[in-house]
Order: sequence, then structure tokens, then C-alpha cells
Amino acid sequence: MVLDADVVQLRRGDLDALTALIARYQNRLYRYLLRLVREPAEAEDLFQQSWLRVAEKIRSYDPSRSFDSWLFTIARNLALDHLRRVRPRSLDEPALRGSDSESLADRLPSGEILPLDRILEIERSGRLAAALLDLPASYREVLSLRFEEEMKLEEIAEVLGAPLSTVKSRLRRSLEQLRSTLEGYNFRGDLS
Amino acid sequence: MNPANDHEKLRSLLSLAASGALDPADEISVETHVRSCPECAAELEHWQALTGGLHRLPTPQLSPVVLQRTVALVREAQVARDERRATFKILAPILALSWLSTIFSWPLFELASEALRVLGIHFEPDWRVFAFFMIWTWLAAAVAAALLSSHQRHDRRLA
Repeated sequence: MVLDADVVQLRRGDLDALTALIARYQNRLYRYLLRLVREPAEAEDLFQQSWLRVAEKIRSYDPSRSFDSWLFTIARNLALDHLRRVRPRSLDEPALRGSDSESLADRLPSGEILPLDRILEIERSGRLAAALLDLPASYREVLSLRFEEEMKLEEIAEVLGAPLSTVKSRLRRSLEQLRSTLEGYNFRGDLS
Repeated sequence: MNPANDHEKLRSLLSLAASGALDPADEISVETHVRSCPECAAELEHWQALTGGLHRLPTPQLSPVVLQRTVALVREAQVARDERRATFKILAPILALSWLSTIFSWPLFELASEALRVLGIHFEPDWRVFAFFMIWTWLAAAVAAALLSSHQRHDRRLA
């Protein structure tokens, strides 16, 4: 495996490399954490903790592993500890809708006028995002890793610490539940 | 295989097919089946619309303030860790030297008193003198280590 130059530099204690890595992974890692814990403030806090942990553990990072998997595993472990502490039953249970469910108007910058196609697209992805939030954390997680992070199944298995067969079955169940949730909204999957 | 069973089995794989998560052999079976089964073709299209929607979900953006705070926090923690490491590098040999000097100083102490006796200076080795000497050595070493470490920390902050 070719090791990222910034990771190599970070292992040598180069703080600029760490800054570059944080900037590069900022939105991906934040998005994953947000999908897991749902609350932006909690996701931000976990984002900071994850990087603190990375800086602390970088010398024990095994270069034969993918850095993405290693980073997301660290973030996942912190997020799961956090969820166990604050919402012990939330991992496999559907989430309760909270303050973060936005309306279309909330997502548009004030006064912005958009073409109809764009509005429909936002509305569709808004419903999909809302349905995603209604799934249990373990389902949100696998969907986020597969479709947002575009990880291979093997990488997801590494992050989850689970066999490939478990990842596949969880992915299938997640999609089925997502579809059924969307159908519950009277939304027959017109997402294309 | 019974075509009905085959149909059901392949239908159950359609969500994974739309996710690009099938083994090559299953993928070929699904592709072949879908060409001859309009029901499964429609179902696959439905799953593809769903997975396509997931791919296109907007990415939440991290606030630049949080990004800056994280960078500052991590840098601060890293500097503190480097300082601890550097301090340990200084303290460890001093500590080792202190222990060695404690172990070897009693015979040296006796030798020194013998040498003084040869020179005509009468000096009787006594455990109280030895203990005083040891405490003095340890205190001096600890003060030297603390001063050295503080000086190095100051230098690193300036750098």
C-alpha cells in the first residue's frame, strides 16, 4: 500500500502534515460523525477528540492498513462510547426526530431563488436525509460509509470490526428499512 | 433450479446489486435475470434510484471556527506531548546515573577514606556522612534536571 505523504510526515511528528490531514478529511469525518450521533455540537466535539486521538496514536498506526479505515475506526469508537454514555439504547433503535430536522426553507439561504429542478432535488434529498435520520445508528453508519464515504465493503468491515457477510446483510437491511421509511412518508422512491 | 425460487433469490439480491456490493458471479446472475424479468428490472431501477439519491446527499460542512479550534487544540496537545517526551529523555539518564552512583558510591566512599588515611588525614567512614552525601547528590541532580528541562521548554517555545 502506498502511504500518504502527509501520514508519513505526521508519523515523524510534523505538525503541518497534521493540519493538512485535518483540512483534507474535515467534511468527510464530520459527515460520518454527524450521521452517527445526529447532533452537530456532539459531532463537532467528537471530531476534535478524534484528531486528538490520531495525533496521540499515530506512532502505533500500522502503515499496511488504509489510513481512512484507521481514522474512521478511531472516530467510530469515540462516537460509540459517546452514544453508550448519553443514549445507551440508541445504537440499534430508530432515532427520535429532534431539532435537526430542517424544512426546505431552512436549507435555502435567505432570499435565494432556485430553478424548479434544483428545488425538487433539494426536496427529494431532504426527504431522503430525513428518512436516513429515522434509521438506527448502526444502519445510518453502514449507509454513510458505503454511499457517502464510498468505501469498499472490505474497508467498511475493517471500520466496523465485523465480517464481510455481516456488512452485506446490514447494508441490505439498512436499504430495506430506508425504503420502507420513505414509503411511510408516501414517497415512492422517485429519487432519480 | 426452480425458476420461481431463482427469481425470489435474485430479487433479494437487487438492493445489493444497486449498491455495487455483489460478488462477480452473483452480479452476472442478476444482470442475466433482469434482462428477462421486467418485474425485477423495475425493482432494480427503484433500488438504483434510492442508492443514487444516497450518493447525492448534500455534505454537511464543518464550521471553519471548529476546524481552526481543532487544529489549535491538536497542535497544543502535540507540543505538550513532545515536551513531556523531551523531559523524559533528559530525566531518564539522570535518574539512571543517580541510581548507579548510589550503588557504587559506598565502595568509592571507603576507598576515598582509605586514600585520605594514606595521606595522613584520618577520616572514619560513617553511614550518616554517607546518607548526607547521597541526599545532597540526589537533590542537586533533581534541581539540575528541573532547570535543564525548564530551559529546554523555554527554548522550544521560542523556536
